[in-house]
Amino acid sequence: MNEIFDKLLIRILFTCFICLALFLYKYAHIFFYPSRKKQILKRIYPSENYIDTLHIFSRLIGVALIFSTLEFNEYIGISISTFHFFIWSIVGFSFYLLSIYILENILFYNFDYKDEVLKKKNAAYGIVSFTNAICLAFIIKTIFKESENSIIILIILWLFSLVLFGFSTRLFKYVSKLSFNSLMIQKNLGLAWAYSGFLLGNTVIITSSFSHEHHDITSYMIQVILKTLLGVLIMPIFRYGIMYVFRINESDSQGSEESEKHLGHGIYIGTVYLTCALLTSIIIAQIHFGTIYPFF
Amino acid sequence: MNKFILYGILLLVYLGLSKSLSPTEFGVKYINNDEALAEIINGAPVSVILTDIHSTGFLIKTFYHKYKIIYGFQAYDEIIIRTSRSYTEKKKPFLGMSIFRRYKEDSRESFTPLPPGSVFIGNRSFGSWVTQNSQKVWRFFRVYRQIPKYLEWNDFVPNIQIYNEIIANQEKNIPYYGENKEFGIKGSITQAAFPKYFERQKPEKVDLKSFLQTYLKENFIN
Repeated sequence: MNEIFDKLLIRILFTCFICLALFLYKYAHIFFYPSRKKQILKRIYPSENYIDTLHIFSRLIGVALIFSTLEFNEYIGISISTFHFFIWSIVGFSFYLLSIYILENILFYNFDYKDEVLKKKNAAYGIVSFTNAICLAFIIKTIFKESENSIIILIILWLFSLVLFGFSTRLFKYVSKLSFNSLMIQKNLGLAWAYSGFLLGNTVIITSSFSHEHHDITSYMIQVILKTLLGVLIMPIFRYGIMYVFRINESDSQGSEESEKHLGHGIYIGTVYLTCALLTSIIIAQIHFGTIYPFF
Repeated sequence: MNKFILYGILLLVYLGLSKSLSPTEFGVKYINNDEALAEIINGAPVSVILTDIHSTGFLIKTFYHKYKIIYGFQAYDEIIIRTSRSYTEKKKPFLGMSIFRRYKEDSRESFTPLPPGSVFIGNRSFGSWVTQNSQKVWRFFRVYRQIPKYLEWNDFVPNIQIYNEIIANQEKNIPYYGENKEFGIKGSITQAAFPKYFERQKPEKVDLKSFLQTYLKENFIN
C-alpha cells in the first residue's frame, strides 16, 4: 500500500510541476509577444471576446500537445527526471512560440492582432490562428519525437520543418480560388474553413514525411524531402478521385448569396484537402517495402 | 494545361531526386553486359560463377545476380549486382556455370559459359593430371584442395576429355555444359550446389483454409 501511495504522490507532484511549467509558459509568451502583455496577464473572461479566447487557448492546447511527448522517468531519480522535463519543456515552448511568431508573420503579414481580434473580433482570423497554432504544435511534437533528445538534431529539424510549413502556406492559391487577404478582411468563414483544412492537410503531410527511421541526418532529410514531394504528387490524384466519385461540381451555384457560396466552397476545400492529405499520408508513410538491399 | 506541365515537372524532379539521392540507388552496382562485369572483377586467375538470379518488384521488375568469384590465391568473394532483364534472360541458362574468367599468364579474358573453375583445369600451377581407372583426371595440389569445394563440384572430377572439350568450346565461343550436361540451369550438379534458386521457382501451395485459420488466430484471437 505504501508503494501505491508513493506512486500516487509522485504523480501528483509531477502534475503540480507541469502546472508550474505552464506558469513559465505564460511569462515566455509575454517575452515573445510583448504587445499582448495585458491580454495574457489580466484575468481572462472567455465569454467577453470568443475570438480572443480561441486565440489564447489554441496556444494552450499547443503547449499541452508538446508536453504530451515528454516523459518522466522516475527510475532515473526524481530530481534528474524533473530537471530533464524542465529543460525540455522550456526548449519545447520556446521553439513553439518562436514558430508561431514566425508563421504568424508570414500568414498575417497584412493583419494585426489588436485590430483583428480585439477591435474587429474577426472570426476568420481567430479560426486560422487557432488552426495554425495547433498545426505547429503537431509539427513540433513530431520533431521532438524524431530528434530523440538531441538538441542539434532538434534545431536542424525545427528549421527544416519551419521552412517546409512556411513554404506550404504560400501555396494556397494553387488549391483554392478564395483570396486570402480580401476575404480575411471581410471576416469570411468560408476562407477560415478552407485555410484551416489546408493548414491541417499540410501538417499531416509534413508530420508523416518526418515519421520514419533515421540513422544519419542527411539521408533522413533527403527522405523527408522526397516524401513531401511524393505527397505533392499523390494528393491531386486523390482530389480528382474524390471529385469524380462524389461528382463534385466546383462551379458557382445559381441563386445563392455570395457569403453562402464562399462558406460552402470553403468547407468543401478544407475538408477535401484534409481528407486527401490523410489518405496521402497512407501512401507516403504507411507503405513498407522491406529491406532495400537484396539478400538471397 | 499548365497544371499538367507543372505536375510533369514535379514528377521528373521527384524521379531525378530519388534516382540521385535515394539510398536504394547506392551500394549495389549495375551491369548490363559482359564488359561491365569484367570491369568490376579484379585479379587473375579468376573464375566468376553465376550462383543465383533474383527479381524484386511487383509490376516493374529489378533483376539481381549473385556471383561467386573464385580466385587462385585467395579466398572466394560473393557479390550481388543489379542488372537488366535482357542480361538476365541471356545468362539464365548458365546458372551454376563460370560466365567469366581471366587467365594470369596473358590476362586473357573469356566470357564463354563453361563449367565452374575451367580457368584452373589444366593450369600446372594449380594441379596435375593423374591416371585413375585408366583415364587421366585433374587433381588440384594439396595447397589448393579447397578450390573444388569453393567451386561446388561435389563429385565432379574433370578428365582430359572434358578439358579438351572446354578448350575447343572456348575457342569456338560455344557454351559447354559438361560431359553429361551436369552444369547450367538444367544440370544436376548446379541444382544440388545452388538449390536456393530452384526452391524459389517451385509454385507456392496455398491452402486457403489453413491460411484463414492462421490469419484469424494471429490477428483476432491471440
